[in-house]
Amino acid sequence: MSIAQNLSNAMVLASTYILIAIGLTMVYGVLKVLHVAHAGVYASGAFVGLGAFNFVRPFCTPTLEDARLASNLAFWISLPIAMIVSGVMGALIYLLIYRYTWGKSPTISLVASVGLFTLIQDLLQKPFLLGPRQQPYPAGGAGMPRIETPWFMITPTQVLILFVTLILLAIVYVILNRTRIGLGWQAASLDPEMAAAVGVNVTHVIVLNFFLGSMLAGAAGVLVGVYDNMVFSTMGDVPSYKAFVVVVLGGLGSVPGTIVASIVLAVTETFMVAFAGSLMPRDAIAFLVLILLLMFRPRGLLGRA
Amino acid sequence: MSTRLEARNITKRFGGLEALRGVSVTAQDEILGLIGPNGAGKTTLFNIICGFLRPTSGAVIFEDRAIHTKRTHEITQSGIARTFQIVKPFSDLTVLDNVLAGLGCHIYATPRVFAEQYSTRTTIEPAREILAFTDLTKWADTLAGNLPIGLQRKLEIARALATQPRLLLLDEPAAGLTSGEADELAVLVRKLRAQGKTIIVIEHNMAFAMNLCQRIVVLAQGEIIAQGTPAQVQTDERVINAYLGH
Amino acid sequence: MDYFVSLAVFAGIWVVLALSLNILMGFAGQVSLGQAAFFAIGAYTSALCALKFDQPFFVGFFAAILVTGFVGAFLGLPSLRVRHDFLVLATMGVNFVVVAIFKYVDFFGGALGLIDIPTPRFFGVNNDIPYLILVWLYVGAAILISWYISKTWTGLALNAVRINEEAAAAVGISVPRFKIYAFIVSAALAGGAGSLYAHYLKSLFPDNFNFIESIVILSMVVVGGVGTLRGPIIGAIILRALPELLREVHDYRFTLYGGLIVLMMLFQPMGLLGDDSTLMRGLRRLFVRKEKVDYEHAA
Repeated sequence: MSIAQNLSNAMVLASTYILIAIGLTMVYGVLKVLHVAHAGVYASGAFVGLGAFNFVRPFCTPTLEDARLASNLAFWISLPIAMIVSGVMGALIYLLIYRYTWGKSPTISLVASVGLFTLIQDLLQKPFLLGPRQQPYPAGGAGMPRIETPWFMITPTQVLILFVTLILLAIVYVILNRTRIGLGWQAASLDPEMAAAVGVNVTHVIVLNFFLGSMLAGAAGVLVGVYDNMVFSTMGDVPSYKAFVVVVLGGLGSVPGTIVASIVLAVTETFMVAFAGSLMPRDAIAFLVLILLLMFRPRGLLGRA
Repeated sequence: MSTRLEARNITKRFGGLEALRGVSVTAQDEILGLIGPNGAGKTTLFNIICGFLRPTSGAVIFEDRAIHTKRTHEITQSGIARTFQIVKPFSDLTVLDNVLAGLGCHIYATPRVFAEQYSTRTTIEPAREILAFTDLTKWADTLAGNLPIGLQRKLEIARALATQPRLLLLDEPAAGLTSGEADELAVLVRKLRAQGKTIIVIEHNMAFAMNLCQRIVVLAQGEIIAQGTPAQVQTDERVINAYLGH
Repeated sequence: MDYFVSLAVFAGIWVVLALSLNILMGFAGQVSLGQAAFFAIGAYTSALCALKFDQPFFVGFFAAILVTGFVGAFLGLPSLRVRHDFLVLATMGVNFVVVAIFKYVDFFGGALGLIDIPTPRFFGVNNDIPYLILVWLYVGAAILISWYISKTWTGLALNAVRINEEAAAAVGISVPRFKIYAFIVSAALAGGAGSLYAHYLKSLFPDNFNFIESIVILSMVVVGGVGTLRGPIIGAIILRALPELLREVHDYRFTLYGGLIVLMMLFQPMGLLGDDSTLMRGLRRLFVRKEKVDYEHAA
């Protein structure tokens, strides 16, 4: 594969990392909680998206006749449903758990989060939800075009991922920088008490924060499910951990840092697999990187020492 | 008088901020007061002496040995103990166990640490003596975290004494105490001096420091602006300016 | 009969695992989510001793303890530099990496695992009773070690490190050294448990030691009571036996473990049988007539 092709593949990978990690970094920014259960939200998002997709598709088929179009329509209906359900799930996680563990030792929140993640994953595995086996999510490119140049080619599904990511990032940017609640988030992440003192409703800010971040994670779940054409209960395993590589690399709590870090990690991984091959799977390498990072650059590559 | 501690030309930078600029302090066998407005660098100096921080430049000499490259536990083992401005008792241990933790100071680095029980007659007796000396006997079995702040400060002194220091660093020991408790504390510190310990006290409470200390060093913005007897310092113009100017 | 013997063997192994994590978490205050990694290293060391080097069981058993203790010292290094909640993250990583190594390196059997690990037979008895006794002797040793540590200066120093590292250093305790001690003892105990597990199960697969197993061990400790001896023991027995005895629970055991962890963190972070838990206070009120209450005086 050419360098350009590898780069374009890496950008697709980076997009999914960005969508997962932004929620985490936002949560860390305000609550200083390492929200492992975020990966449970991600897997749930994929599950809900798939459920909605399978539910809606039969209704689309008779009206549209063209099965391709019906599938595309079903996807575009399933994506927002998955995002909203994930968002609500995230907000509930805060309201039911972190609201009470916040202010105690950060380890307590983290351990609770790990417990919650275990619970979500195990429930997803049950036959009345996703079941133990992986299931296809055959949405294809959802109507996106294929982009072909002499140097590289982007499949419709990859275009879909890049397109959705860019739109969602634009929305997040506007919310964080142009709305009251976004400014409230920025204030709260600097100093929650101070923000409360100047009239920011910190609870609202945090709930919205969880809602937004979890929405993005849900979208990531759907997109990865479609990309790999499979959804399975433990698909959150690797992201649960790898997203933290990105968050720590990006300097904990910094949204731009997270975006840059996602790209750095995705490019490194892609090229390592392409040119070096490796002894261990690339995920294990990411974990090793995180351990070393935590030891030697705990504030991230971009963070101030 | 022999020189117990000498801090030579200490500079400490945090990024662009210079917390200490070429500070030199010597402590003989005395009660030395370290005063100055907020942010003067007093606690930074303590943290350097006891090894929590490394000086950017300069040296700390304790009984003719350089200690500024050593780590905190080694410095404690060599005979310097401290208390904290924000008290740090071992809150879910009893008062007695807190003192025992201090008594272990010279055992922690030896193999005895694995073999010997810490709560035996031979260790409890000296621990109780220290509790009696600091007037904490009746709280011996209370959890340290449940004590009121005044007693927690005392407990920190007791715990520091248990390490058998020759130099004791007290960081704002009178903060948050009633005037009655502060008086008691002054008596206790003088008793320690009478036992031959060198004591350096950081104090915000001027009256307390003037009354207790034999000599006073005034820090402001990372530099020494005056030193001498309490009477000399009290009338020094720079000192008055430093305090009023703040 | 065989069923209960195997239940008791596994319960014993998990009691030791819970006790081993308790030394890290309850004594030294270092929360680890990588305990299954030490368990795995012990199991693989012992199994490989038997399979590749033809050594008898006890050689493998002690080799497992030694090797895991050594690895524990090494894997404890992040705890010297990393703050508490990030340490949890780092230990999770250790678990993933160790499992990945066993899975992808052929010497360790790879994803196909190790099979035909011999089970030792003692005194010519042809059932598992002697093995069961051996397991519970090891449990007894683990309890004794935990108890002994809590009584010695080491125990006091670990407590001091857990409560406040700066204050610990200020009474002459080398914080890094004692953290590493805790990691060594904890890892070695778990390694021995791994050896017993390997020779009982007769086959090992990397997935036996997934991150989820670390969660199971953690839930046993936090449900029982962090820092006590009774807590991890009872927690491990109940949480290990319950899913085996009740089919319905078995299907939902990870839901149960996860849910229990969340509930404990919300309502009783020191565990049901922790020193200051509601349950223990209730029991004490029932059985101890006169309780010394001098805290009010103090305040």
